[in-house]
Amino acid sequence: MFRIDRRFLKSFDWLMLVLLLAVSGMALMNLYSASYPPSPWGMPPYIKQCYLFLMGMMGILFILCFDYKELHFWNYPFYIFIIILLLLVLVAGNSAGGAQRWINLGFFKLQPSELAKLMMVVTLASYYSRKEEELGYGIKEMVTPVLLTGLPFLLILKQPDLGTALMLGIIFVSMTVFAKVRWQTYAVGVILGSGAGVFAWFYLLRPYQKRRIETLLNPAKDPMGQGYQILQSKIAVGSGGISGKGYLEGTQGHLHFLPERHTDFAFSVWGEEQGFTGSLIFLITYFSMLFLGLYAAMTARDRFGVFLSFGVVMLIFWQAVINLLMILGFLPVVGIPLPLVSYGGSSLLTTLLALGILLNVRMRRFQIGQNIEKVKQK
Amino acid sequence: MMKWSHYKNLEELTEHDDAELDALKRRIVFAGLVVLFFMAIILGRLWFLQIYKGDEYRDRADNNRVRMREIVAPRGNILDSKGREMVTNRPSFNVVLVREDSNNVDELLKKLAVALDLDISELWEKLRDAEGKPRHIPVRLLEDVDWETLAYVENHNQEFPGIRVETIPTRVYHYENLAGHAIGYLGEISKKELAKRDLNIYTGGDLIGKSGLERLREPDLRGEKGSSSSEVNAKGFEQQLLKSEEPLPGNDIQLTLDAELQKVAEDLMAGGDKAGAVVAMEVKTGRMLVLASNPVLPLDQFVGGISHKNWNALLENPKHPLINKVVQAMYPPGSTYKMITAMAGLATGVINKDTVLYCPGHYYFGKRRYHCWKRGGHGAVNLKRAISESCDVYFYQVGLRVGVDRLAEYAGKFGLGHKSGIEMEHEKSGLTPTKDWKKKKYKRKWQEGETLSVAIGQGFNLATPLQICQMTATIANGGTQYRPQLIEKITDPDGNVLEQFEPVVVDELKGEKKFLRLIQDGMEEVVQGRRGTARKVRIKGLTIGGKTGTAQVVRLKQYKHLKEKDIPYKYRDHAWFTCYAPAEDPEIAVTVLVEHGLHGGSGAGPVARAMLEAYFSDRLQQAAEADKAKGE
Repeated sequence: MFRIDRRFLKSFDWLMLVLLLAVSGMALMNLYSASYPPSPWGMPPYIKQCYLFLMGMMGILFILCFDYKELHFWNYPFYIFIIILLLLVLVAGNSAGGAQRWINLGFFKLQPSELAKLMMVVTLASYYSRKEEELGYGIKEMVTPVLLTGLPFLLILKQPDLGTALMLGIIFVSMTVFAKVRWQTYAVGVILGSGAGVFAWFYLLRPYQKRRIETLLNPAKDPMGQGYQILQSKIAVGSGGISGKGYLEGTQGHLHFLPERHTDFAFSVWGEEQGFTGSLIFLITYFSMLFLGLYAAMTARDRFGVFLSFGVVMLIFWQAVINLLMILGFLPVVGIPLPLVSYGGSSLLTTLLALGILLNVRMRRFQIGQNIEKVKQK
Repeated sequence: MMKWSHYKNLEELTEHDDAELDALKRRIVFAGLVVLFFMAIILGRLWFLQIYKGDEYRDRADNNRVRMREIVAPRGNILDSKGREMVTNRPSFNVVLVREDSNNVDELLKKLAVALDLDISELWEKLRDAEGKPRHIPVRLLEDVDWETLAYVENHNQEFPGIRVETIPTRVYHYENLAGHAIGYLGEISKKELAKRDLNIYTGGDLIGKSGLERLREPDLRGEKGSSSSEVNAKGFEQQLLKSEEPLPGNDIQLTLDAELQKVAEDLMAGGDKAGAVVAMEVKTGRMLVLASNPVLPLDQFVGGISHKNWNALLENPKHPLINKVVQAMYPPGSTYKMITAMAGLATGVINKDTVLYCPGHYYFGKRRYHCWKRGGHGAVNLKRAISESCDVYFYQVGLRVGVDRLAEYAGKFGLGHKSGIEMEHEKSGLTPTKDWKKKKYKRKWQEGETLSVAIGQGFNLATPLQICQMTATIANGGTQYRPQLIEKITDPDGNVLEQFEPVVVDELKGEKKFLRLIQDGMEEVVQGRRGTARKVRIKGLTIGGKTGTAQVVRLKQYKHLKEKDIPYKYRDHAWFTCYAPAEDPEIAVTVLVEHGLHGGSGAGPVARAMLEAYFSDRLQQAAEADKAKGE
């Protein structure tokens, strides 16, 4: 099991690793600028992010040692563990900005809702890969995945963390649609979903969350609040022009016009300083990684591998799209990070572990390990 | 090697139909298209923001970043003729709010009000006044704050984003409110004024001269604003100074006024609680040494904006401190006009120096009896006595012989009846009536009886204290009418003279000059003579020529029998005294008008006397010492 077969090295997706390193490199470089000039107190964010990145890389290495199929077994313990963490956050978490999201681990603050995203991917992949349905899933088969998603969804919504909760929903929808459901199921889903949406608007959403959505519809209404953040972000990106203002030269970011400039709005700093050219290079690299992920799903050796890698790609893809559209002024400020780029340990670790699973699926596409096991058992 | 009990189970679970797997994988292609679609949207949006709208956003980023601030220029100083600073500037500190830099103005004001113990409604009012102005323009919340407030705001600026301390030059009046009417006050520029002015020079909130020289000489005094551009962060805190252009101070104005002499005049008037005017002019140049109007205009109350209470008090004050009585108030010249009548009589030849007219105490004209002020009469009087004892009957007759139109002609030669052209606002032209004037104004024929009143300075006659002073100076200097001059020179901040003002001759007597000596003799007799009406003004060692005057306010029978002090203040006569000195070679003319001061000699004379004493103090002292030495 721990022996690394030479053929694994050969089938390892080196290009994916290069793209991952390239994106991470740009991200760390950007983080340095976004948190420049360094604050005299505490560890600078980019150093912290470096450590976490190395930790994540070790995590990838660790994941690669096991066949991803093991996740079929670890899935439920993992699920229960995350649910306990989410409950713990509500009971004893650190709060910031009116929301309880973190568990303080000393070295860094763990955000279980980030891990929950990956957990959701693994859980749903496991479920859908086990249950095969040629005509698509009916309503009865959907009960289990809906419940499995609903529990962490509500727990995260309670924190409240609308963005992450929404992410869980999007992952669920993406993977379910991908798994194919019957049209009746769609109909019921749409009706129930919109019903829940209306219910949520009137009874669940907090005023600030509603305001964010309203602001998107009419940004002029609140120029100094939510609309202000979006406006400043647009000014930052737009003022970058073709070639950008140059590294560390961005004025929007360094003069604090940009809110959350090293977390959710990190890409604004990149857009301002690197311009359209730099943004193009970054996005092509980033999306190549995603396409390569989809290719990994295409070449996976089994159904579980397909679902796992597809889920991981969707996890990263949707976060990136929502974050970028928010930065570019198309979506409200919902607090979804740009995976690998935004500062935040939990998000970085989760994304790296997810990519580790992806690399694992890709590496084991030829069913080498499985064959060996089969031979041995026979 | 680990062995899992469920391993076999897993094997079975994951073994699937290849066709089903292929169908699943085909759906990945569709997912790829979705990813591609969103990638295209994002790239398209980036193109739109960064390339299509790039310049626009770059401008906005620059505006975000750079905050330009105007630096108010210190106004020019105002000096007196001896170079004494009358008005200069000092820095004052205002607490201002830049609305653009605050994301919650209401909250901020509440916090500030609590911290500084202020009335929040006043802050709100200031904010309301600024509504409609651009959000980056500072709104003045507190003006001219003390050091304690200043220190508090500066030290806690992190807690009040958008609140800033602004340093602007403010006027300092070194002689308190001295010559307030001449100097004038400043105020915030009004919307009306702003509409008329060059917007490159003025912006809302600027201080602008509202009256006096501050207004008339605004272009000289204002200087040029400077500016500073600083990089600011989103909280409005300035990070770094990018560019700074120092303001150019305004030009200094040196007046012809003598601050010390002006102070003597104002103190005397204020000391006696007198309303009126004191005017002193250099006889041979027309330079004004004193332009005092009492009660003074309280310039200090206008610094930082006058309060409603103070403004109403000024408006309602029965002594009208807002009116510059030197040029804006007109009074019947009374007996001071008799010099004009005398001049007209001499020049037209209806009298000469030896002409003797009889005064029985009254004069009949038509069916009316015209009184002399002295009921018992003066008896036979010549010109000198007529002036020195101010005999009405004498001048009734001279006036009748000359006629009202020729009286007006000579009045004009001495400066009456038209504006002098001094640099003071809203100057009144006074009034010297003529037949045409009455026809035009009242559509009625001139009655000869009215000429009698005019000849002694009553009736329609009106003059400002400045005009009477100008008249006196013209008599004293031998017939040259100078334009009253208030500004000596204008210099730039480096001391270079930009404009030097020279005496301007308005009019000059020609052949009539020789008669002036006779009038001067009469005026000398007024003060120096045994029976002169202003003997009290006499100063040892100085020969003074002068004339008293009483301007009737009302001619009501009901007050005739009352003792003077029992007449209500507002019905009492105005008192004039006008004089020049030294009589041998006149230098200065002094005119005093005391509103409701009753008699020229007693009401106004002492003020003029004190003025002359102050002006000639050095020479008088020397003369006294010389006398003493001689005596020993």
